[in-house]
Amino acid sequence: MVNKQADIDLLFRNGLKDFEVLPPAEIWDNIRPAIRKKPQPVILLRSAALIAVLFSLSFLAYRTSRQSPSPVQDPFLAFDQESVRPQPVPADPVLVKLMPATDRQPAVLIHDQIPGLIPLAELNDEEYNLQSGPNLVPETRNLNFPGNLMIPSGIQAVRGPDYMADNTASDYANLYDPGYEELKEKTDRWSVTAMASPTYYMRPVVNSSDMTDQISSWEQSRISYSGGLSFSYKISKKLSIQSGVYYSSIGNEVDNIRSFTGFSKFDYTKGDHNFEVMTSSGTIFTQNPDVFLADNAGDRVVTKYTNDVFDPGKANLSYLNNSLFQNFSYLEMPVIVRYKLVDKSLDFNLIGGLSYNLLVNNSVHAMIDGNKYDIGKTAGLNSFMVSSSFGMGMEYNLSEKISLNLEPTFRYYLNPFGNLQSTRTHPYSFGVFSGLSYRF
Amino acid sequence: MPEIKNIIKGCLSGNRRDQELLYRRHAARLYAVCLQYSGNDDEARDILQEGFIKIFENLVHYKHEGSFEGWMHRIVVNTALEKYRSKHNLYRVDDIDLIPEQDAAQETEDYAGLEAVDLLDIIRELPPKYRMVFNLFAIEGYSHKEISEMVNISEGTSKSNLSRARIILQRKVSLYTGLKKDAVNG
Repeated sequence: MVNKQADIDLLFRNGLKDFEVLPPAEIWDNIRPAIRKKPQPVILLRSAALIAVLFSLSFLAYRTSRQSPSPVQDPFLAFDQESVRPQPVPADPVLVKLMPATDRQPAVLIHDQIPGLIPLAELNDEEYNLQSGPNLVPETRNLNFPGNLMIPSGIQAVRGPDYMADNTASDYANLYDPGYEELKEKTDRWSVTAMASPTYYMRPVVNSSDMTDQISSWEQSRISYSGGLSFSYKISKKLSIQSGVYYSSIGNEVDNIRSFTGFSKFDYTKGDHNFEVMTSSGTIFTQNPDVFLADNAGDRVVTKYTNDVFDPGKANLSYLNNSLFQNFSYLEMPVIVRYKLVDKSLDFNLIGGLSYNLLVNNSVHAMIDGNKYDIGKTAGLNSFMVSSSFGMGMEYNLSEKISLNLEPTFRYYLNPFGNLQSTRTHPYSFGVFSGLSYRF
Repeated sequence: MPEIKNIIKGCLSGNRRDQELLYRRHAARLYAVCLQYSGNDDEARDILQEGFIKIFENLVHYKHEGSFEGWMHRIVVNTALEKYRSKHNLYRVDDIDLIPEQDAAQETEDYAGLEAVDLLDIIRELPPKYRMVFNLFAIEGYSHKEISEMVNISEGTSKSNLSRARIILQRKVSLYTGLKKDAVNG
C-alpha cells in the first residue's frame, strides 16, 4: 500500500520535474516596469544614515569654525575705528514561512526516463529566442482525449535546460542573511574623476545699512574657478559616495578705490597697515608700505592719511588702478552623495553633499598694464568654511571605463566668508563642472 | 552563454538585458510550477508575475551557495501559497473530513504512456485544498507538520487531504492510462 502511495507521488514528482510551459508574452511586459521603480528599502535606510552622518559632520564643522577665530581677525589700528564701522547686528522577503524540513528528500531527477522528452544533452539555451527561436519551438501535445480530459488550451509544453529542485535548509536560510551586500557587484565600484568649472559667486546683502549698501554697490564677483580630483565609490547600483581634493579660487573686485605707488617716502608711521578698506568679505589691510589708497565713492577706506592730510596728486604719486582685486584660494574636500535617476548611455544623477574648505591663500592686488601689484591681505576671513552643494549630473559613457561628466552645481556656504559683523554674509555660487571619469 | 553569476550581477546593477535574460531562461520552468499550483491560467499568470517581481526584488539576498533554480522555485511556490491563503479564507479547522490514510492508493496501475502535460492536467483538476497539500507533500517534500503551519490546517487534515488527493489522482491516472491505451489500440 505504501509503495502504491509512493508510486503516485513519484509519478507526479518525477513526471513534472523538468516540465516547461511557455508563459504568455505579456507577463514580461508587466514585470519589467514593476522591477524598475522599486528601490531597495535597505538602500533608503543607508541613504538616510549617510545623510544623517553628513549633517552631523557639517554641524560639528560649523561649530568648530565659529569657535576658531581667524588669526588676522583682530588687526592693529592706529586710530578710532568705531566711528566708521557698522554697528553689530542683532542677532519579504516573501519566502516567509516555508521552513525547510530536515527530513525532506530531494527529488529524483529522471528527466531522460520520461517518455518523449528530449535528452538533456541536446538542449540548447538561446534565451532570447525562447518565444520564437528554432531550438525551443513550443510543442503542443495532441492526445485526442475526450471531454474534460483534453489538454487545456493555451498550455504548450517545451523542453528546456536541466532543472533540479533543491530543498536544502542552508540554501533557504540564505534569504535572511543580512550579509547580502557582499554579493553585490564588485567590479567597477570605484571611479576617479577629474573635473573643473568656472564659478560665479554671489554675496547677498543681509543687513542693509549705509555702509553695507555702499560696500555691496561697488563690488562685483569675478569669474572664479574650481577643479580637482575625486574618487567615487558605488554603494549600490543607484547610490554612490564621492570625495577628493579640489582647489578653488574665488575673485572679488572692489571698484572706485584708487591706488597709487610711491607713498613710502611720505609715510612716517611705524605700523604696516596704513590703509584699511571695508569689503563684503572682510577688511583689506595694506601690507605694502608704498601703496596709497583713496575711496572715490564713500567712506570705505579708513586711514589717517585722509584727503585733508595728504593729496596723492600733489605728492606726485604714480596712479595704479581704480579697482582692487581680492583673491581667496581654498582647498576643498567634498563629500558628495550621488543618486542615479536615469541609467542609460546618458546617465542623470542627483548630487548633494557638503564641502569642507580650508583657506590656503588670501591676497589683494591692483592691476597695472596687465601686471599684478601687491596691495595686502583681507582680514577677518573664516579660515575654514563649510558649503552645501546640490546639482544635477549628466554622465555620458564614452566607453566601458570612461565617461564624460557635466554637472551644473549650486553651492551655498553654511558659514559666512568673514567673522566681522559687517561681513557675515553667506555667499552662494553656481558652476558647471565638466570632466572625465575612469571606472575601475 | 552568460553564466548565472554574471546575469545576477547584471540584474543587481539594473542591466535590462540581464533581467530579461534571467526571465527568459527560467520563465518556462516556473510557469509550469505556477500551473501546477493553480486551477486556471489567469491565476497561474498572476503567480508567475508576482513571483518574478519578488525574485528580482530579493536577488540581493541570494548568496550563490545553493541552487539558484531551487531558490527561485521556492519564491514561486510561496507566492502560490500566499495566493491560496488569500483566496481561501482560512481558519484553522481541525480534523474535518478525515479519512484513513490506508484508504488511498487501492489500485495498482501501469502508468506507462503518461506524459508531463497529462500529469499537469490531472493535478490541476484537483480541488484547491487537495492540490495544495499534494504539491507541498509529494512534489516539494514538506512534512505534514510543516504543511499544517503553512496552510493553517491541522496535521490530520493535511494527511486526510493528501489521501483524498492521492485517491483522485490515481483514478484520473487510471482513466488517462486506459484512454491512451484505447487510443493506441484503435
